[in-house]
Amino acid sequence: MTKQEQILISIDAASKRIGTTWPLYSFVTSNPLSGYEKLSFEDAVKESGRFLKSKSYPEAAIYRQALEKNDIDTAVLTEMLTRKNMLSSPESYLKAMEIQDRKVVKTSKSELDVIMSKWLALFMDEGIAEWQMPNKEKGFYNVWKDLAAYDSTLGSSFKNLSKTSTEALELVLNAHDVENYNKIFSAHIGALSGWTGYIKHRKDTNSIWQQKYPIDIQDYLAVRLTIANHLGMSLDLDVETNDNGIDNKLRHVWLKAWETTFQKKLVSDLKTNGLSIPVSEEQKNIPDAQMVFCIDTRSEMIRRNVEASGNIETFGYAGFFGIAADYQHYQEDISIKSCPPIVGSPYKITETPQQESSSKNSDFINNKAVSKSKLQILKRLKNMLPSSFGFVEGAGVFYGFSLVARSFAPSFFSKLKAINTRNYESFCEPQIAYNGGEKNAEVIALDEKVAIVKSGFDLMGWKGFAPLVLFVGHGSHTANNAFGSSLDCGACAASPGRHNARLLAALANETAVKDVLRTRHNIDIPNDTIFIGGEHNTTTDDIVLFDAQLPETHKDRLSILKKNLQKAQETATGERLNVTSGSVELATKKSVNWGDTRPEWGLAKNAAFIVGSRDLTSSMNTNGRCFLHSYDWKSDPEGAALAGIMGGPMVVTQWINNHYYFSTVDNIKFGAGSKITHNITGQFGVVQGNGGDIKSGLPLQSLRASDTEMYHQPLRLTTIIHAPVDRVESILRQNKHLQTLLDNEWMYLKVIDSKDSNLFKTYTYNFIWKDESSTQEHHKNEELQATEVISN
Amino acid sequence: MTSTNHLDELNTKTLLSRILIPLTWFLFFGNVATLIYYYSEFPAWNYKDLFQINGFSIVIWTVVTFFSSIVQMYASNYMKGFKKKPKFLILCLAFSVFVMLFVIANNVILLIVFWLLMGLIMARLIGIDSEWKEAQYASKFARYNYLAGTSFLGLAVGILAYSSGSYTVDGILASLDTTPQWISTAAALCIIVSAMIQSAIFPFHRWLMSAMTSPTPASALMHAGFVNGAGILLTIFAPLLFTANVLLLIFIIGGVTAIIAQFSKLLQVNVKQKLACSTIAQMGFMVMQCGLGFFTAAITHLILHGFYKAYLFLSAGEGIQNTLPKKADNMVIKPLQTIVIITAAIIGGLLFGYITGKGITLDSGLFLTFIVAITVGQVVYNVLNQKALSVSQKLLMTPLLIITGIGVYALVFNGVTVLMYDMPMSHVALPLTITHIVFGIVFLVAFYIMLSGRYRTIPWLYVKLMNMSQPVSKSIVFFKIK
Repeated sequence: MTKQEQILISIDAASKRIGTTWPLYSFVTSNPLSGYEKLSFEDAVKESGRFLKSKSYPEAAIYRQALEKNDIDTAVLTEMLTRKNMLSSPESYLKAMEIQDRKVVKTSKSELDVIMSKWLALFMDEGIAEWQMPNKEKGFYNVWKDLAAYDSTLGSSFKNLSKTSTEALELVLNAHDVENYNKIFSAHIGALSGWTGYIKHRKDTNSIWQQKYPIDIQDYLAVRLTIANHLGMSLDLDVETNDNGIDNKLRHVWLKAWETTFQKKLVSDLKTNGLSIPVSEEQKNIPDAQMVFCIDTRSEMIRRNVEASGNIETFGYAGFFGIAADYQHYQEDISIKSCPPIVGSPYKITETPQQESSSKNSDFINNKAVSKSKLQILKRLKNMLPSSFGFVEGAGVFYGFSLVARSFAPSFFSKLKAINTRNYESFCEPQIAYNGGEKNAEVIALDEKVAIVKSGFDLMGWKGFAPLVLFVGHGSHTANNAFGSSLDCGACAASPGRHNARLLAALANETAVKDVLRTRHNIDIPNDTIFIGGEHNTTTDDIVLFDAQLPETHKDRLSILKKNLQKAQETATGERLNVTSGSVELATKKSVNWGDTRPEWGLAKNAAFIVGSRDLTSSMNTNGRCFLHSYDWKSDPEGAALAGIMGGPMVVTQWINNHYYFSTVDNIKFGAGSKITHNITGQFGVVQGNGGDIKSGLPLQSLRASDTEMYHQPLRLTTIIHAPVDRVESILRQNKHLQTLLDNEWMYLKVIDSKDSNLFKTYTYNFIWKDESSTQEHHKNEELQATEVISN
Repeated sequence: MTSTNHLDELNTKTLLSRILIPLTWFLFFGNVATLIYYYSEFPAWNYKDLFQINGFSIVIWTVVTFFSSIVQMYASNYMKGFKKKPKFLILCLAFSVFVMLFVIANNVILLIVFWLLMGLIMARLIGIDSEWKEAQYASKFARYNYLAGTSFLGLAVGILAYSSGSYTVDGILASLDTTPQWISTAAALCIIVSAMIQSAIFPFHRWLMSAMTSPTPASALMHAGFVNGAGILLTIFAPLLFTANVLLLIFIIGGVTAIIAQFSKLLQVNVKQKLACSTIAQMGFMVMQCGLGFFTAAITHLILHGFYKAYLFLSAGEGIQNTLPKKADNMVIKPLQTIVIITAAIIGGLLFGYITGKGITLDSGLFLTFIVAITVGQVVYNVLNQKALSVSQKLLMTPLLIITGIGVYALVFNGVTVLMYDMPMSHVALPLTITHIVFGIVFLVAFYIMLSGRYRTIPWLYVKLMNMSQPVSKSIVFFKIK
């Protein structure tokens, strides 16, 4: 093998470990350690700690708070400590961990990171700079090579740099052994994990920016190592972890005790509430309305309140509503992903103006162009010499008025700002077309439409249709919030779910689709059932319905429903914000307040994913801690629907959950630190203060009630499925990835075995299930087995 | 449970904010009432030669209390949960108080002390996160700058006081006639350096570029109420600058900074650094206005710029956007358009000259009118070039923009000028010199370079400006966890 090939192979291997940094305009919460999922959780955090210098377990203060609030059951904890032969009192261990946390972190200096983050930010900018890096289209290494010649800050300026990044790497690695390549690369990639994660994102999605201005890890390493070499730095970075293993082992036990306490509570709640009430299908009347919400943890609370407001049945379904598509924006000229990133986008959702409203449409298009022009004029006046000075003098007073308006009347201000924006959803209908390929932009075949609608009803185990069926996506509405999209729908790649919801309603309303469903699939949708799309505003709990096409016959029904939804909004916001009156006003205020760093909590507190019918959970309050997916094991004998749920939503919830976990335990490295010192870079990310590494995770304000007080509890996800255990197992056997996640403890799985008198069975390792009645003895055996397998 | 309490706190205001915010607004309205009451014949109050309050002081007081109130309202939400929040609010308030005391200080020792305290507090705000090493470094760096600035101010005031035997500002200024020329020149130069440091004028701009470790509302306060100290300082010592004959120097320093910073702004990729470059450019322009003898115009500029920059900082979270790569748009002006543009520019200039009284005669005021005329021209050609706008929209928009812009500015400017009537030498046009004309041409050339987009193809300039506008490296990600 030539040296060049060796280098490429090592880069490839090291790159596999990179976690993705998503752009903040579509902030997908994914596992920052996804590259380590093939290792057990414990090994993965140890290994990643070497390269990322990260913390992987909650700090002692968090454990203390959990213990004080009984979120960690002392009995459970003591038992687990004892089993690991840790025989002192919990308090003494807590103290030991506190001492460890107080230790001053040793730091080293990193001129190299400063230089690299400067170049990376400049190159990857997506439109903040008016004056782009010259010749950026030549790619990162090449453009750097051209500019480095003028860079006097690097000592003697660069001359005669290698023509390509491969040659450059070959040159700098001349004196190094091939065996060290991987270590060197991993350490240098890990040093700026945010930026390298964004390079990975650009490569993976091949975004338009990437197509136009290519960059890859090889370029990154070539520039970085060349600079290091030039400045006489050693390429070997320190990759020894500075934590002692004992501390991590201890923290791991505490984490497990916390998780076990949570699981015990959840299981007992499910037993007393859900499983004790006998349900017979026949007794159920057709409700006034049925509403489908996203599996998002925030849906649990709004569903509970909606159900309480009237005779309404609710369902949980992944918020992209089974439509694997991109969305072609009608307002802005961009196309965004509108389904989970693990799914491809064979389709494209487009907006088509209805004929009767062509004047509205032309008005809209004209308006769009005018506001674009105005923005352009404003931008040029601000940028150009000397108009920037004249502009400030002429417009200063208006900025003064804006300061006052936004401080005292933020709602008025946001209305004023939006006065010229038109809403296209009132005159456009969404359409679904093929995305790319031969049939690009052609409306899709009837069969495929039917399949989309049908799969929704299949997965949710749908029976009987109410006159009104609502698909309700969700989106957040916050002001001045760089992390706005982190509050949007995760299943829609961090976009609002409204478009998919509108589209599914439109498809289900099509007569041809209904006909095929009735004749070929035995799904009989009554003629007087109308489907409506909607959006749950998670910041204010307002539910907007897109009912422009509603027939007269249903107007009364809908107006009653809308009243119920208003009631639900009041009770839901009251519960969420913990106030007795004026809750809607308070929520609205938070959504428009430019100074509010915690307008809502997003998916914080998520800890479990429950797959089963609503009867399981309808009489419980899960406090927004659970993702809920509707599923009926009886109507899915083949297990196809369950396989879909486990392969899709279950993995997505694990992403979200792991993201929240790591952002919480190391907010600096995996999260985004505090919002109050964020500095937006390149229109897609934030850095802290003056620059440096781009942040890849959630900010402190999305995770903690204050700098010191916990809000999100960092627990790994527990999935609970109501289905026969052998069905679940056979799906796991076919899905290697799921088995890996479970065996390596990235998440937990429990099954309520519907064929075995609803007993809880817990997946432990390698398809070994433990049921409730199992004893201590059992436990130990498994642990032994587990360790054997690992050591083998 | 404690967590519930914490969550409730997120929906309510703390006692501290409930007291401080109304108090600051009260002060603001008190100042506004005073301004309205006395308006054109503002008296000057003296307190034992220690303090002197006049129309100028109240103008600054009004502005400072306004920004302080807005920032406190914002911060009371924004900083919720931040462990240093009470300290932050108190530092903000203390800062405002020291600015207010500084502008009324007549005793030279007080003047220097308050100038220093303003800086020390700002440095603490930059480094308010005591566990963040980069922030600590940025804070230290800023503090050294402010200490240097204060030293120069101390030196200037010291030699003036020593030579004149007076320890009050107005005493020193009154005896300038008898002060030896070399002393006033040396003192004026020291004042200029001190002002340059405060306003981050090149080459003293690094502290401002490195100051993003401060929380956003502190940045708003910094850019609206601290960095423009040069305008205030130069205005106070205007008679000295005339005596020392250094106005042309000030004009050049400001002009060079304005141009360099405006180009540097174009290549910034972080929102806050971009705003900082813009501030430096605006400060350059403000200093230029001082150099033209129009201190009242400089004060007007610092107020209006404060509104502008405070707003942009406080809304700095809005900069996330999914966009497509755009081709740089270089505009071409057709001959017929040129005529329209030039005509509009001349009309705009005349309008400005007529209502502000600047630039009607052949003096340094002409330069400011010239800038306004070009701006008007730019507005016109930008509007003309927008295809999406209909003819009627263009016909309506252009005059509306120009007339309201100039009109509102003139209103503020004239008001400030009236209130500052008793500030010595604050509004004296200088004779037009060749330097002014040369700089006018330099601005035109810079304007042309920007318009044509030529600068985009000059790599060395890109690297030079980029490196020049970087924060100091120890304030970026220098300290790494081992």
